[in-house]
Amino acid sequence: MTDLANIVRKEVKELLTPGSIASVLIMVVLFACLGNIIGGEVEKSTALPVIGVANYEDETIDTVSGEWNAYEALKNIYRKSVPPEDIDKYVIPMNKDTVYEDLTKSGANFALVLNDDFKESIESEKRGLIDIIYVYQPSGMINGTVSSTVGPMIVSSLNSDLSSMIIGSETEKEHVKFLTTPIDGSTAITYIKGEPHKDVTPSDISSQLTSQTMFIPIIIMIIIMMVGSIVISSMGSEKENKTLETLLTLPIKRTTIVTGKIIAAATVGLIFGLAYMLGMSFYLTSITSMSSVAGHSVDLNELGLGLGLADYALIAISMFLAIACALGICMILGAFAKNYKSAQTMTMPLSILAIIPMFITMFAGWYGANILIKSVLFIIPFSHPMMATEALMNGDLTLVLAGIIYMTVFALGSILITVRLYKSDILITGLGQNKYIEMLKGMGRRSKH
Amino acid sequence: MVDALVLKDVRKSYGQREAVHGVSLTVKEGEVFGLIGHNGAGKTTMLRMISTILKITSGTIEVYGKDVAKESDAVRSMISYLPEDAGAYKDMTGRRYLTFIANFFASGAEKEAMVQKGIELADLGDRIDSRIDTYSKGMTRRLLIARAIMSSPKLAILDEVTSGLDVINAFEIREVIRQIADSGVTIVMSSHNMFEVDMVCDRVGMVDQGNLIDVGTPAELKEKYGKETLEEVFVAAVKGA
Repeated sequence: MTDLANIVRKEVKELLTPGSIASVLIMVVLFACLGNIIGGEVEKSTALPVIGVANYEDETIDTVSGEWNAYEALKNIYRKSVPPEDIDKYVIPMNKDTVYEDLTKSGANFALVLNDDFKESIESEKRGLIDIIYVYQPSGMINGTVSSTVGPMIVSSLNSDLSSMIIGSETEKEHVKFLTTPIDGSTAITYIKGEPHKDVTPSDISSQLTSQTMFIPIIIMIIIMMVGSIVISSMGSEKENKTLETLLTLPIKRTTIVTGKIIAAATVGLIFGLAYMLGMSFYLTSITSMSSVAGHSVDLNELGLGLGLADYALIAISMFLAIACALGICMILGAFAKNYKSAQTMTMPLSILAIIPMFITMFAGWYGANILIKSVLFIIPFSHPMMATEALMNGDLTLVLAGIIYMTVFALGSILITVRLYKSDILITGLGQNKYIEMLKGMGRRSKH
Repeated sequence: MVDALVLKDVRKSYGQREAVHGVSLTVKEGEVFGLIGHNGAGKTTMLRMISTILKITSGTIEVYGKDVAKESDAVRSMISYLPEDAGAYKDMTGRRYLTFIANFFASGAEKEAMVQKGIELADLGDRIDSRIDTYSKGMTRRLLIARAIMSSPKLAILDEVTSGLDVINAFEIREVIRQIADSGVTIVMSSHNMFEVDMVCDRVGMVDQGNLIDVGTPAELKEKYGKETLEEVFVAAVKGA
């Protein structure tokens, strides 16, 4: 076995403990459960609502096209999507005076209650009043929001149904339509990479992109913080137990020790990262179904915004280099840790560096940021894999390649610094006995005297 | 006799503060050389410089003719260093730890023989296959000494090897050190325990405030200072220094 393989094997065994594996598995299961819960809520909220109708019996209106009754009109609307024998399960007659009890008992989403003068108002060409009655029950964000938006939509359907009955002939209907909306602005054309696409808005694309890419910065942040914590803690533990001193006096090159530690942590980090991605994919499925409920679903591949194999390879390279950069930073920070406890506090700078680009890429993104924020994003190596997906979808290969070159230089630089630290006294004595720190202390003492 | 270790005017500074002031000494092959001195005297710093893990500010250290600063890889293949209060990887078993270390020195049958030697030196019985975090301090120390010696180093550097051990464990460790020395390994060790140094070491160097104030066999030093024990010798040497 080579020295490098020996170090890597020992490090991997140290990092892949039952505790660390269990914590990752728990996270995966949590994500999967969260996805299931959200998916279930979305499914519930997208089901056809059950509607009660009250006070409709005496409010049948005579129109030029025939009689119009709210209850029957509602059943006609449901006839398009529900088998005739099931319609009575969705449209339930209720009593105006016991509407609350009827709603509670039937479990209907809401009830439409026609006012007593509804028929009279319509026939005298005044607007008829229909109250929408809800029963508030504590519910999740999705369920509550969706059911409240359906009520006015149903009333709107009743409006157009009654309106067409009142207007009568098709020619008249067209004329009224012209009078109320002489301008038709329903056609949207969006240019994507110079090509026009009909019936797609930037908002549709943006929400679809967000639903597919928002989890990437979160996963990268989690991996970096986790791997960072693992490496720094391992260094702190080696120092505390003085196993590092022993390791440094064995006939192995310093570069072998550093490389071995980095390879092992990167491997474990990638394994954990893949596990997190698996968990996130369950979660993502529900997010995607939410966006399709909201009517934003567009096919990114059709719009030329899909990713190919080469794009995925670039994203993988970008992620690997980001992890290598994180490990480089951690090895440098870990060199200054005195023991396991002090190592824990050393992860703070790394966490900050991982959180900043996560928030910026999630909320503003590279393309929406000003020059100052762009500079900050570019300098922090972990930003690049977070930005890579959106950049590749937009065909911005320059940004991705520039990021890869920058991260390569950064990772190599940090590894070289780590090797230098491993060859210096700092690893053994810490900063307390560093010659520059001692000189500073000396200057401080002299200035006091 | 061959010079196993030669220090010439060795100094170590941390900024303005000099921790080791121009120490010169020679240790012959097969000798057990003890460094005695109080806490912070500079013993560990000297041992760390010999072990290649601290840089020498000025002067030279040679291990079997190899310069510690310039030929550190070659020096590391000849030495074995056991730091004070050293531990081992706690999630490994004793056998796995010895195998992990042996992998850096040998392969195949030679490695197996080295591990077997380590197991015999550690003398932990069935417990060699238990996790190290279940070992007592004495058991861990035995394992670490076995680790340090199984690779047959030319020079073993042992820092406070019996510190914190009970009487029985300390006695057994001293026995092991003597056996190692009898097998021809040169040993440089530091200790607070004057009795231990008197028992185990062929020659002794007394260190005070980064200076090597005197060197000699225990008998020579006792005679020179007119004292009966090394402890009294050390006190007299320090007060007179």
